[in-house]
Amino acid sequence: MPALANTTRAIARSWTQHSLPVARAGCVAMQSRDASTSTFESPFKGQGSTKIPSFGHYKKTGGDENGPKLMSYFMVGTMGALASLGAKATVQDFLVNMSASADVLAQAKVEIDLAAIPEGKNVIIKWRGKPVFIRHRTEGEIKEAEDTKWESLRDPQKDADRVKKPEWLIMLGVCTHLGCVPIGEAGDFGGWFCPCHGSHYDISGRIRKGPAPLNLEIPEYDFPEDGKVVIG
Amino acid sequence: MAGLTSFVYNTVFRSNVTMLTTVFASAFAMQLAFDTGSDRIWDSINRGRQWKDVKVRYVQKAEDDDDE
Repeated sequence: MPALANTTRAIARSWTQHSLPVARAGCVAMQSRDASTSTFESPFKGQGSTKIPSFGHYKKTGGDENGPKLMSYFMVGTMGALASLGAKATVQDFLVNMSASADVLAQAKVEIDLAAIPEGKNVIIKWRGKPVFIRHRTEGEIKEAEDTKWESLRDPQKDADRVKKPEWLIMLGVCTHLGCVPIGEAGDFGGWFCPCHGSHYDISGRIRKGPAPLNLEIPEYDFPEDGKVVIG
Repeated sequence: MAGLTSFVYNTVFRSNVTMLTTVFASAFAMQLAFDTGSDRIWDSINRGRQWKDVKVRYVQKAEDDDDE
């Protein structure tokens, strides 16, 4: 038994000693055969995995280095400009769609020829479904309206804040109490008198007596030329 | 050429703020140019057919009617 054991051990040892180089050589032979027949060159062959493939082919040689940068930034900027243009146009379209149209705006304005209104006369016109008082005030009325002690009134307001031209008093003919239409050239203060609940307005349309809390409202108006007024 | 590109890069694109300002300003200018340009093209195609072109004749006539 010992002789047999010694023999097998020796055989096994010699086999392991010789078989490894043989196998290694076979591997190398296979690899080299593969490399010679294939067109693919692995970058990780031989020198290990630290060999980095060359990208030198893509490198810009010579010339200005700012050129490509400038080009890409220009493209980004142009894209941004076009996008903001489109966004702005979209938003603007929606806003314009929501605002009043031209025919509504045209109806919302009234033009009056002031030359037809003599001094010391009232004219009542209709504007947006509401009466508007236009008073051509005389010199005495202007003086009276300006000299009034406005600080102590219920709704203190200077006469200069209520008119653009002192001879033309333009205001909404709606009583600020409950919305009646006051009567002109009536009342205790020479201005307007509301018959519903007895509010007295002076010659500047300011509340002086009665239940109304505020002065008669002044609409937006303008004098585009002499003798014309546009309300609205 | 190199000087020009580096000048443009340094003045316009280097800072984010200046780049954004330039972008929005150019958007405004582009809108202005587009609007006026398209209006001009429209007017040149429809020359003689728009109210502002023929207005002179009719307004003149109306004033003559008033005088008569």
